[in-house]
Amino acid sequence: MTFLRLDNIKKSYGDAAVIKGVSFAAEKGEFVVFVGPSGCGKSTLLRMIAGLEDVSSGELYIDGREVTYEEPAKREVSMVFQSYALYPHMSVFENMAFGLRMAKKPEAEIKAQVLEAARILQLEALLERKPRALSGGQRQRVAIGRSIVRHPKLFLFDEPLSNLDAELRSQMRVEIAKLHRSLGATMVYVTHDQVEAMTLADRIVVLRAGLVEQIGSPTELYDTPANTFVAGFIGSPKMNFINAKVASIAGNTLTLAHPTFAGGTLALDTPAAARTKLGAPVTVGLRPEHLSVGAANPVLALTLDFAESLGGSTQLYARSEGEPIIALTAGRPNLKPGDALTLGIAPSHIYLFDAAGLAL
Amino acid sequence: MRISSGKLLHALGLTAVVIFTLFPFFWMVSASFKTQADILSSPPVWFFTPTLQNYAEIFADTKVSGAIINSLIVATCSTLLAVILGAPAAFALARYEFRGKSDLWFWFISNRMISPIVLALPVYLLAIQTGLLDTHLVLILIYLTFQLPIVVWIVTDQFKSIPADLEQAARLDGASQFTIFRKIYLPLGAPGIAVSAIFSFIFSWNELLYALVLTRRAVQTAPVVATSFMSGYELPWGKIMATGTVIVLPVTIFALIVSRHMVRGLTMGATK
Repeated sequence: MTFLRLDNIKKSYGDAAVIKGVSFAAEKGEFVVFVGPSGCGKSTLLRMIAGLEDVSSGELYIDGREVTYEEPAKREVSMVFQSYALYPHMSVFENMAFGLRMAKKPEAEIKAQVLEAARILQLEALLERKPRALSGGQRQRVAIGRSIVRHPKLFLFDEPLSNLDAELRSQMRVEIAKLHRSLGATMVYVTHDQVEAMTLADRIVVLRAGLVEQIGSPTELYDTPANTFVAGFIGSPKMNFINAKVASIAGNTLTLAHPTFAGGTLALDTPAAARTKLGAPVTVGLRPEHLSVGAANPVLALTLDFAESLGGSTQLYARSEGEPIIALTAGRPNLKPGDALTLGIAPSHIYLFDAAGLAL
Repeated sequence: MRISSGKLLHALGLTAVVIFTLFPFFWMVSASFKTQADILSSPPVWFFTPTLQNYAEIFADTKVSGAIINSLIVATCSTLLAVILGAPAAFALARYEFRGKSDLWFWFISNRMISPIVLALPVYLLAIQTGLLDTHLVLILIYLTFQLPIVVWIVTDQFKSIPADLEQAARLDGASQFTIFRKIYLPLGAPGIAVSAIFSFIFSWNELLYALVLTRRAVQTAPVVATSFMSGYELPWGKIMATGTVIVLPVTIFALIVSRHMVRGLTMGATK
């Protein structure tokens, strides 16, 4: 059942269009992540769902009810802000109780709800403290606690982890995932961090410049990116791109030419051969983690620039005609800068994109 | 412990500033305990036998105590009104975009551009016409027009420094605009409100020009009474200084009480 539906939502400030028509639907209980580079409009979109920004045109439905022009409080959504936005003059208890007090709930119920949220988030010992006496991670938990006490229909998260250090961030990521599982609530989460998107999401909405680039599960986006933008955005380190040209087409066999390929060409058996033509530019995408050092029939012949050992794995930077190629390999290959580097890849892991950047 | 010459100069400079600012105050207080002969002696007398004669005289005079009560009524009422009217105005200016906002803002500032004496005559005529001359109300109203801009300025600035996320979080929590103002902005803006209240109170308390023009016998304020001793052929410095000392006390006490709310970093911990 569709729980949250955005129907051709647009937003502009004067002449500047920020959201240029986003349509999208989420199921009840789904964890949806909006991801994209800064300025892509993901936060604006979230704030429009919350009702903190006006919608210029389009329609918005939550739980079957149109709420496009509804007051924020009547949408029954809660939001965790990037800045946490805790009320600094109130104790942790009062911060969490504020929304319930506004709803004029009886005191006993307020107490029960806040204590329950505090138990879930392990905040019981901190209820009397003021926000300034809390660490970043604790403040984050209070902000989440404030959003869960009211049992909203929809949880919104606006880059909630970006102010935390790396260790705390991964810890909170796990906690949010657990919370989603235990509450079974519908959540919309905004981030620019593709790792957060991959690990948390049931479905990811990739946004760029106010438009949806692709919607899909994390593995769908990883395995079958719709275009070079999504391919480059999802996955770390970033996908390598080689701008080759079609040298020959013979049935299903496509031969691509670029000096970076071993022997100057790359021959592939692919149904995509029918969708391109001789001399057409084709962008070849290779994920660093799919490239293997010292393969039997190498695809790339390069020179190693330098290697970064990450302990268990090694990141190799190689020179090529055009963009440098990055490869991620297990272990510690015995290579020095300046050494010849040959890299192989399984044909099924080669991505092809046309001149417009769309997947072939 | 070695003290560097830089630090020494720094300390000397600070001492000079302190002496410069506190000396007139010291002179007023010490003169209030001197006899007229001691006050007028040249060179000045630094060591003298203190006398309470001046205080006894001014407290025997109901004019002084009455004037202090008048001053209290006028200063308290005008300050309260300025804060009650100014804080919501500041909230609107700090958080909303509306047509004519910058004009309104300029109007607030322009009120302070006019030299008070320019308006003294028109205000006097208005007061006569409306029958408000020599009432508390006329002073409260005229002081309010001078204090409102100060309150609006300071408090607007304070309110602007409160993160907008807090207001939005409260909106999502279901708070009305008035609740947001009362539960979020008033407590967090308390330092600015306190500062503006102190300024307002001090202004009303010390104001002399309009108090002279708009009062006769009934509602003379303390500064008017202090200057009223300068009449005829003698200048009773002791009484003037004693009155001055008594006038300074309430405003100092008020400032001390209110300054406790001027805690810095009250918004710390709200965000990030």
